[in-house]
Amino acid sequence: MVETLFEDIFRVDAVDPDGKKFDRVSRIAARSEQFDMLMHLDINTEIYPMRVGEKFMMVLASTLNLDGTPDSGYYTPGNRKSLADKFDYVMQGKLYRISEETREKQVKADIYVSFGGLLMMLKGDPSIAARFELDQKLFILIRKV
Amino acid sequence: MRNPKLEPLRKNEILKKVVKRCNALVGSKKAAKCSRCGYINGMVKKGPLKIQHDRAKIVDTYLDECQSALSHTKDFRGNVNFSSTLDPKSVYRLLRNMLDEDCELLYLNDRPEKLLVTNILVPPNAIRPSVFVDGGTQSNENDTTERLKRIIQLNAHLRGDMLDPNLYSKSLTSWDDLQVEVAQYINSDVRGVPLHMTAARPLSGFVQRLKGKQGRFRGNLSGKRVEYTGRTVISPDPNLKIAEVAIPILMARILTYPERVSYHNIEKLRQCVRNGPNKYPGAKFIRHPDGTEISLMFSSRKRHADELKYGYIVDRHLENGDIVLFNRQPSLHRMSIMCHRARIMPWRTLRFNESVCNPYNADFDGDEMNMHVPQTEEARTEALMLMGVQNNLCTPKNGEILVASTQDFLTSSFLITRKDTFYDRSAFSLMCSYMGDAMDPIDLPTPALIKPVELWTGKQLFSVLLRPYAKMKVYVNLTVAEKSYCKSKETMCPKDGFVYIRNSELISGQLGKATLGNGNKDGLYSILLRDYKAHAASACMNRLAKLSARWIGNHGFSIGINDVQPGGALNKEKKVLIDKEYGQCTNYIESYKSGSLELLPGCDRAETLEAKISGTLNNIRERTANVCMINLNWRNSPLIMSQCGSKGSPINICQMIACVGQQIVGGRRAPNGFIDRTLPHFDRGAKDPDAKGFVQNSFYTGLSATEFFFHTMGGREGLVDTAVKTADTGYMSRRLMKALEDLAVYYDNTVRNASGCIVQFTYGGDGMDPAQMEEKSGLPLNFERLFMKAKATCPSIEQRSLTVEEIKKIVDEIIEEKLTRCNTTPERRYSKAFASSSDTPSNEESSNAFGESLKKFIKKKYPSSSLMAKLNEGEHSGEDRDALEKVTSNVCGISKQQLMVFLETCISRYHSKKIEAGTAIGAIGAQSIGEPGTQMTLKTFHFAGVASMNVTLGVPRIKEIINAAKRINTPIITAVLECNNNDIIAKIVKGRIESTLLEQVAKSIKTSQASRSASIVITLDMKRIQGAQLSVDAYTVKESILQTPKMKLKEQQVKVLNPRKLVVVLQADRSKLHFELHGLKSKLCKVVVKGINSVERVIIVNRANDPSQNKELELVVEGTGLLSVMGIEGVDGCKTTSNHVMEVQQTLGIEAARMTIIAEIQFTMSKHGMNIDIRHMMLLADLMTFKGEVLGITRHGVQKMKDSVLMLASFEKTADHLFNASVNGRVDKIEGVSECIIMGIPMQIGTGMLKIRQSVQPVELPYGSDPIIC
Repeated sequence: MVETLFEDIFRVDAVDPDGKKFDRVSRIAARSEQFDMLMHLDINTEIYPMRVGEKFMMVLASTLNLDGTPDSGYYTPGNRKSLADKFDYVMQGKLYRISEETREKQVKADIYVSFGGLLMMLKGDPSIAARFELDQKLFILIRKV
Repeated sequence: MRNPKLEPLRKNEILKKVVKRCNALVGSKKAAKCSRCGYINGMVKKGPLKIQHDRAKIVDTYLDECQSALSHTKDFRGNVNFSSTLDPKSVYRLLRNMLDEDCELLYLNDRPEKLLVTNILVPPNAIRPSVFVDGGTQSNENDTTERLKRIIQLNAHLRGDMLDPNLYSKSLTSWDDLQVEVAQYINSDVRGVPLHMTAARPLSGFVQRLKGKQGRFRGNLSGKRVEYTGRTVISPDPNLKIAEVAIPILMARILTYPERVSYHNIEKLRQCVRNGPNKYPGAKFIRHPDGTEISLMFSSRKRHADELKYGYIVDRHLENGDIVLFNRQPSLHRMSIMCHRARIMPWRTLRFNESVCNPYNADFDGDEMNMHVPQTEEARTEALMLMGVQNNLCTPKNGEILVASTQDFLTSSFLITRKDTFYDRSAFSLMCSYMGDAMDPIDLPTPALIKPVELWTGKQLFSVLLRPYAKMKVYVNLTVAEKSYCKSKETMCPKDGFVYIRNSELISGQLGKATLGNGNKDGLYSILLRDYKAHAASACMNRLAKLSARWIGNHGFSIGINDVQPGGALNKEKKVLIDKEYGQCTNYIESYKSGSLELLPGCDRAETLEAKISGTLNNIRERTANVCMINLNWRNSPLIMSQCGSKGSPINICQMIACVGQQIVGGRRAPNGFIDRTLPHFDRGAKDPDAKGFVQNSFYTGLSATEFFFHTMGGREGLVDTAVKTADTGYMSRRLMKALEDLAVYYDNTVRNASGCIVQFTYGGDGMDPAQMEEKSGLPLNFERLFMKAKATCPSIEQRSLTVEEIKKIVDEIIEEKLTRCNTTPERRYSKAFASSSDTPSNEESSNAFGESLKKFIKKKYPSSSLMAKLNEGEHSGEDRDALEKVTSNVCGISKQQLMVFLETCISRYHSKKIEAGTAIGAIGAQSIGEPGTQMTLKTFHFAGVASMNVTLGVPRIKEIINAAKRINTPIITAVLECNNNDIIAKIVKGRIESTLLEQVAKSIKTSQASRSASIVITLDMKRIQGAQLSVDAYTVKESILQTPKMKLKEQQVKVLNPRKLVVVLQADRSKLHFELHGLKSKLCKVVVKGINSVERVIIVNRANDPSQNKELELVVEGTGLLSVMGIEGVDGCKTTSNHVMEVQQTLGIEAARMTIIAEIQFTMSKHGMNIDIRHMMLLADLMTFKGEVLGITRHGVQKMKDSVLMLASFEKTADHLFNASVNGRVDKIEGVSECIIMGIPMQIGTGMLKIRQSVQPVELPYGSDPIIC
């Protein structure tokens, strides 16, 4: 089985917290159940609508190959079996920034990923951030539950 | 005078002194006796075309003799004016008798009698050609010929008169006439021509031929007509590369390039010869090595083609890839003429990529441009290297990029990179193919959305554009805040306004003008240019141009009436807003009328009202603009254009949709054209917004009649403004250029003028090239960005991050090694070897300063993380610890490799940014200051903070500074207080500075008249005095009365009764008493009791940004008198400055004047939003001050800076300079730029600075057969 980097179930708290700016893309704010992570994620709502209150499972992986071989960096479409088969919405992107934030003596680490301009910010315990590397290629896989 | 080393300027000064002494001698009562013959001289005056000799004051026998002689004539009237004119003959005799020593003293090069024309030179026919008309039957003679004809006629006439003894008196007048004619032969504008001799159309004399813009000097010597040029209308073509220009075939058939036949091109040229001059690609002439030239127009071309041999030269038509110079007037800076590669195309216009519009300032509304074809291989190479578009992407004005995407390119990039643009496979690949010529490989990236459908985003397309295939080694790293950035959250900005490109991948941000446009130092192209050189930048521009033009052609982008229709919400909000603000204005007007308006500092009531109303009305437009921008749909074309920065601003949109706003004429609301009102539609004295030019309507709704009228008033002002401005700035640029043209950097890093005089010891203080400065404020490098790049391009995989101590050690080592050692290589070793003291301290100093700034920056970047702190304090298990360490290193760690790369790029780049020796930095500086002048408006703006206090800005201010004007429009002294947080102290000091008149502090000035004496009683208003914190009482008033000049009062006359009362007693005749009393009273009113005379007024300004903070009070003094202001108690003299350059020079010296010039130019430019590298202003200021006095860039100043007569003659006052030079026997060494151009020889600047001296070994000719194996 594939070694995923992060797995959790999120609940959508808000859609477009700063007001709707784009027709087809919405920013959702979601909170995870297991690790209490905060996530902001841009989602193409035209093809994958999201509403407040919905729960979804989110997985971050560095490869879609089921055998866990690292991603080659080249895109090879085809009908091979992959991790994506189990999910409804899959995006590919790059981790571009890890930062930290201190609030009331609580240190939180932020992970920023850009899926071709659709951004994700994942805020949570620093230990989770330790699994990630800068400039890492990441896949986000989402399935509604 | 004999000293050969003495400058001509000094000699002239001596001459002036000599002449002054002589004049004084004559003017004095003592008669000036000739030391040789004893003749007593009178005053010699220059009359119109005559020299008057006035001996009236001299008492000798001459007068009596004349009288006795005249007494015999009939009309003797007893008293005759005996001043006589010196006729040329006697002058000639006098001059011939002058001693050689005296001539020397008068700075005459030759015998003075030679100044008189005894023989007239007749120029040959080539100088005065006849123009034949009507097929040679008639001819129009040249003006010179005409004049010569008249001279000959008059001469003959005179001769006849002289022969006839009866006509002696008549001969005198004809002699005068001849004199006038000859004078006009030289200069037809000569003054004092008698009325009857002035012709209707004055014939031009020699002086007229030389002077003026069309004259010989400026028209034919400094600028020449050239061959191999073309000019036609321009049009855009985004498919061309930025360095290309499309040339119509018609033009290419006329312009030729002489190509030498060689092994490589013989077949091509044979074909050209066969095609002949009329078929493209053809040729016009063949030149043989022996010099014979064959025209291909008529002769048998086929034969010539076959006979073509190596070494022949063929004048072939222009072909693809040929080098041409491309230019658009006005050529304000060096980027106005650049070198392009030709591309021969059909149709009739010159075409180029729109990205290059900016440097030429061209648009396609019918502009024409010129083209020149360099004719030698050497010229081509030099043009390509120095003037090539690729080498001129950024301006030396401030290092900003100039060739960049514009208009549609910005719009389409903006739309493509929108967050919600997605493309499927076919659309994405199609767009990928748009951007190239199908020649380059393109690697398709993984789609951003894999499931449920494959979708690529626009941002991915842009990443492809930046780096189309993996083998391309271009890694751009940049962050730019676009216009729409909402000032927080960086990349997570909800409006997507923060552009982040990491390793050539567009992470976030919607691209707009800040990233892709010109005038930015952190934009995409700037970074490509700095990091990956011009080729990468231009290739990227080419790709973007192609992509955008093709994409937007398919997508479509247009503007229609529905784009400017306001919605219901907007209308409602606008109405509410206007009603509210109008009410506010009415309130102000009412309170103004009732007098309860609270005054603003330094304003009277009317000014306060104006300021308040203007503020309110401006507010209306600003707020409606905001409402507009919020309410518009994102697809609205004007909105898109304004957001991405391609065209238009929110104000333009607001004017179209909501409200045009206040019309300004001359910096105020519309002025009164009728009595007390703007138009008869309004009441007298109306001050409400409508009556003073506020336009409520939008362009969409249409303007009412009065609004329209006000709008035209504003429009007219703008038109007049531009018209006036162009002439003004043109002349300013010309003067700047003439003054600075010969300054260049020499190989010892000094800036010198053509005669080798040092102007600056190191250019700009650090010897850096302003064109290559990367930091916004003009520092060489943008450390922040380079650090980011180093971190992004060298991933720290498998490398641990360094500790603070390690970093410190490495930094010190590398800086020591690379910077200090590198710096001391050639010069230091040289100087050490010769044990001389001629070190290069400035160079070392600037390097050291750079090293320091680098260290400082690194210090800021030391890893400092709260996680780290947590790590250090807390106890953690091993695994946990490792994980945390990893996170911290990802957050802010620096690996050794990253640090080394960063330091090395910094240092190596720093060294490559030094200015090259030979750079004509003077010319660049002149252009950099002159060119922004054309973009400035003539307006003077309000002073920050203080309403009603204006400072001259714009072109007039720049002119003042450059002219080193003695009197400037708004002299302002900024006085810093010793104690700057106390209002009362500030008021006291203000009172000390501000000139207070007696009438302002007196309660009453009463006159009382008794029978014999009269007196004026002055009572002081102590309440007012105390209120203004003035320390004035009757005693000080007495002092000031006595000290005032022209009062003619004695101490006894002024009596102090008590501290608040004093009496001035007047004694005079009874008849005059009354008048004198009133005269005195009015004089007394104007007595300055306190303060400085030359000061108009003083305003207290609070400089603190936050009103709640401590006050930082400053006094702004309007007026002159820096010295006295500095001397006032309570003013910190060390920090007090003035904006008056000349006054600063007089009070504080030349160095202070230099600083003032720099600061003032910078201030003025920055007020107009222009950013000019400080080095240019330093150079200008240094040039203006390097002689020890402030010299203006005017004809007087330039005259003192330059020695060359030819240069001065080609500047202004051509004839005067030439005449003086011939009298003084001046020599021109032909060193400067102007002189070299006039002479047609290469100048000693830039590539011409060097001369190769080579000792050529005598060539040994090998005899016998060549050895086969060496």
